[in-house]
Amino acid sequence: MSPVKMTARGVNVYYGDNHALRDVSVDILDKTVTAFIGPSGCGKSTFLRCLNRMNDTIPTARVEGSITLDGQDIHDPAVDPVQLRARVGMVFQKPNPFPKSIYDNVAYGPRIHGLARDRAELDAIVERALTRAALWNEVKDRLSSPGTGLSGGQQQRLCIARAIATSPEVLLMDEPCSALDPIATAQIEELIDELRQTYSLVIVTHSMQQAARVSQKTAFFHMGQLVEQGDTTKIFTNPSDRRTQDYITGRFG
Amino acid sequence: MSPHIVSAFDEDLRAITARIAEMGGLAEELLTTALEAVETRDSDMAEQVILRDKRLDRLEHEVDDLCVRVIALRQPMAQDLRLVVAALKMSTVLERIGDLSKNIAKRSKALAQAQRINLSGSVVRMGQQTLRLLNEVLDAFSSRDVALAVSVWRRDIEIDEFYNSLFRELVTYMMEEPRIIGLGSQLLFIAKNLERIGDHTTHIAELVYWIVEGEPLGDDRPKGAPVSMDGILG
Ligand SMILES: Nc1ncnc2c1ncn2[C@@H]1O[C@H](COP(=O)(O)OP(=O)(O)OP(=O)(O)O)[C@@H](O)[C@H]1O
Ligand SMILES: [Mg+2]
Repeated sequence: MSPVKMTARGVNVYYGDNHALRDVSVDILDKTVTAFIGPSGCGKSTFLRCLNRMNDTIPTARVEGSITLDGQDIHDPAVDPVQLRARVGMVFQKPNPFPKSIYDNVAYGPRIHGLARDRAELDAIVERALTRAALWNEVKDRLSSPGTGLSGGQQQRLCIARAIATSPEVLLMDEPCSALDPIATAQIEELIDELRQTYSLVIVTHSMQQAARVSQKTAFFHMGQLVEQGDTTKIFTNPSDRRTQDYITGRFG
Repeated sequence: MSPHIVSAFDEDLRAITARIAEMGGLAEELLTTALEAVETRDSDMAEQVILRDKRLDRLEHEVDDLCVRVIALRQPMAQDLRLVVAALKMSTVLERIGDLSKNIAKRSKALAQAQRINLSGSVVRMGQQTLRLLNEVLDAFSSRDVALAVSVWRRDIEIDEFYNSLFRELVTYMMEEPRIIGLGSQLLFIAKNLERIGDHTTHIAELVYWIVEGEPLGDDRPKGAPVSMDGILG
């Protein structure tokens, strides 16, 4: 078994009066893909945002409970949220490229964290990130055109390239393939599998088949609660909870 | 079980279950008729079994096609997936039971030409016991009755024991009366076929358990000792 990379204990999230997450506890293992599944609005994105303190940026959001990264509390005042987000990277549900060139989108992180000594090294990082995100061939001749001018699926892959360019230790992906065609989806799944050798990954997906294909652990959320978590094979062949069963087999809850 | 949001999925699963139930009914019918053919030595009945078995073969292919289609189009999960996979296996098992019944029916035609011996009564009784278990396991499948499936699974030992004692009796009888070796060995093959039908029946019981529980039925099933010639020859 891989060591634990992140832990969450008794996490509650409120948006104003809306109690969006109730008492969630889960371990995120290193070198493992963990899938979060569950009906729309059940709190998957909310929980994902807890893991790199993205909810800090939402004024109405209040997070309770403890979350650790390598044993350290991420809410500790000594933790700089910007540094945290470099270690715990994120690909959002909606592609959000910066209004900059394709090149600059990917080079942004490596630049601010000083990961390249010169232009040649930066070029290499950008090419490698774009290649792994299955986008290089489509954009290599127009690296200086704006990222926002790409198609939806290309923008999503650009955001994946941006997220992996800084080599985060944990990568959070919120429905990374929802706008991708089957070929690009397969390439991203291949990338996820490759990244798993080195990183810890958490992926939110609405595709049961995708969750089953890419993850080793699965957690099922329902109405703000974490209903069931365990080995992916177990969850998809013989879940313990009736709500999980109904959800994954496509039944009325 | 709540219905699927996509109702055509429910219809597909119902169609698979219905075909399996039909195959089960047909397998029972074939075995019943084959046993009657043994008992009454009626060769018309034997012919009937051979003809009806073709329908079972066709149904096996229908079930397989349906299951492959459901897997390809609907990607079933959890208990739905188990049902589809179990149906694929059950169709094979039921088709085998049909074949074994057909074989019994064919052998009964050979019996028809021979003189009657007492032991054919024991073979028929063994057959009726086998039929009862088949009957119950098919009920267990239709009603997803795990307790009944486990009970059938445990009682297969009765068939094994029946077979072992028949084997001894028949061999003893044939040694005493070499004239009936031809007839006796037909009966022996029939008993062997019944014993194998019993094994297939326990396999179905295991599948029913797996569909419902999601884990295999343990393998501590009581089994009869393998039949040996010790004490008969020697
Ligand atoms: N920024 C926000 N402000 C206020 N409420 C929010 C905010 N984000 C989410 N919520 C609420 O929190 C609950 C959980 O939402 P969340 O986005 O985490 O669901 P989700 O599981 O990711 O759904 P989906 O699968 O549709 O993406 C919902 O009731 C939602 O309305
Ligand atoms: Mg979401």
